[in-house]
Amino acid sequence: MKHIKTLNTKSLQNTVKKGGCGECQTSCQSACKTSCTVGNQSCEHSK
Amino acid sequence: MVHRYINNDCHIVLDVNSGSVHVVDEIVYDAVGLLEDKLSFEETAKILSETYAPEEVKTALEECRELKEEGMLFTEDIYKDAISHFKERETVVKALCLHIAHDCNLACRYCFAEEGEYHGRRALMSFEVGKKALDFLIANSGNRKNLEVDFFGGEPLMNWDVVKQLVAYGREQEKIHNKNFRFTLTTNGVLLNDEIMEFANKEMSNVVLSIDGRKEIHDYMRPFRKGKGSYDLIVPKFQKFAESRNQEKYYVRGTFTHHNLDFAEDVLHLADLGFQQISVEPVVAPPEEPYAIRPEDVPFICEQYDILAKEMIKREKEGRGFNFFHFMIDLTGGPCVYKRLSGCGSGTEYLAVTPWGDLYPCHQFVGEEEYLMGNVDEGVTRKEIVKEFKDCNVYSKPKCQECFARFYCSGGCAANSYHFHDTIHDVYEVGCELQRKRVECAIMIKAALAD
Repeated sequence: MKHIKTLNTKSLQNTVKKGGCGECQTSCQSACKTSCTVGNQSCEHSK
Repeated sequence: MVHRYINNDCHIVLDVNSGSVHVVDEIVYDAVGLLEDKLSFEETAKILSETYAPEEVKTALEECRELKEEGMLFTEDIYKDAISHFKERETVVKALCLHIAHDCNLACRYCFAEEGEYHGRRALMSFEVGKKALDFLIANSGNRKNLEVDFFGGEPLMNWDVVKQLVAYGREQEKIHNKNFRFTLTTNGVLLNDEIMEFANKEMSNVVLSIDGRKEIHDYMRPFRKGKGSYDLIVPKFQKFAESRNQEKYYVRGTFTHHNLDFAEDVLHLADLGFQQISVEPVVAPPEEPYAIRPEDVPFICEQYDILAKEMIKREKEGRGFNFFHFMIDLTGGPCVYKRLSGCGSGTEYLAVTPWGDLYPCHQFVGEEEYLMGNVDEGVTRKEIVKEFKDCNVYSKPKCQECFARFYCSGGCAANSYHFHDTIHDVYEVGCELQRKRVECAIMIKAALAD
């Protein structure tokens, strides 16, 4: 595309069918403890 | 819903419901604004042709139309039904915050644990209580294989022998029950020594090392009980620890307050000390505290995030980059929508355990008697608390409905909401504003480094 550069091609909507295994890290076990950092985490299956 | 913003000369369009991130030129940036206002493609073309060359407008709108058809722009929120179905699943517990010591050898001014004591008495967790906590976790974890246990406090190194015994017990039990324990440790470093580092490097999947940044900032907020600062004692130990972990699977973790709103300096100080995994977060404190972040501090803090983001891009390009936890964003392998809607899991899959074995929704609720959920002997006896937390999500909070960052913070921290509004179903507004700024910066960094 000439006008648009898309940084990610994986849509969140695609995770509706396959997601939800619950094996990923709990956000407060990473480094926060006073904020909610779900968006800073990675999917367990993408590691 | 679409969020458009310009940061560091990058024009960015975030399609909220698909999570798609587009770096665009000015024509598309303007076009998306008009289309978002429900103008048709034809009307948009007409308006834009007054400013841009018609041929350019045509190709720009064709690209917008293509993204829309591919489900990457102007997508609908299809998750509300999915989450209600998902939440009908039985709750399992997969993570515990073990308050291994309600005692501390520092007297940090902002401590939500009140120098480790959490509105209660000083106490150390016994091996017996810890063992029951691990048994409770295994028994309530259903099919989950990865179980997380954070050794927290107070200061957990004040009860180190019990930590070691519990790790040994966990390693024994995980084989029997086909589980995988991920142990983590949060420490202020005062008692850290070579033996502890060696053990932690073998057994701990992550360690969180508390340090606030510049010496004068750290020493003011994190003194010993008699007033002396702790910076000089801990820095060399933390540097050694970070190196011994190959600069990964750890965070130096600081808190900034109203007293150091120029916290970007503290983050860069930590980077200059050689740390590559850095987390520095805003304090969350009652408004009457002198160190509390005030609503009027927000614009200055946002500028600091911008300064930090630009410096991080510069250092990354120079080959001396570092990670800042609050700017970490995984655009290709981020959490699934269920994770984003379930939030941090407090009160459901993540619980805190006091030294005497009481269960609370998370470490920040410890001592709030109305949220006492049960104990390690009887398990969760107050199921209504689990239900309250289960029903608390992005869709239960009216203020989240119009927020572009709702799938990144997942509705925010329940404890923050509780402490500011006496209910977990609200939001902590200052935290929200800073969260939105961080998401913008995190995406901008990705855009800038993608060039």
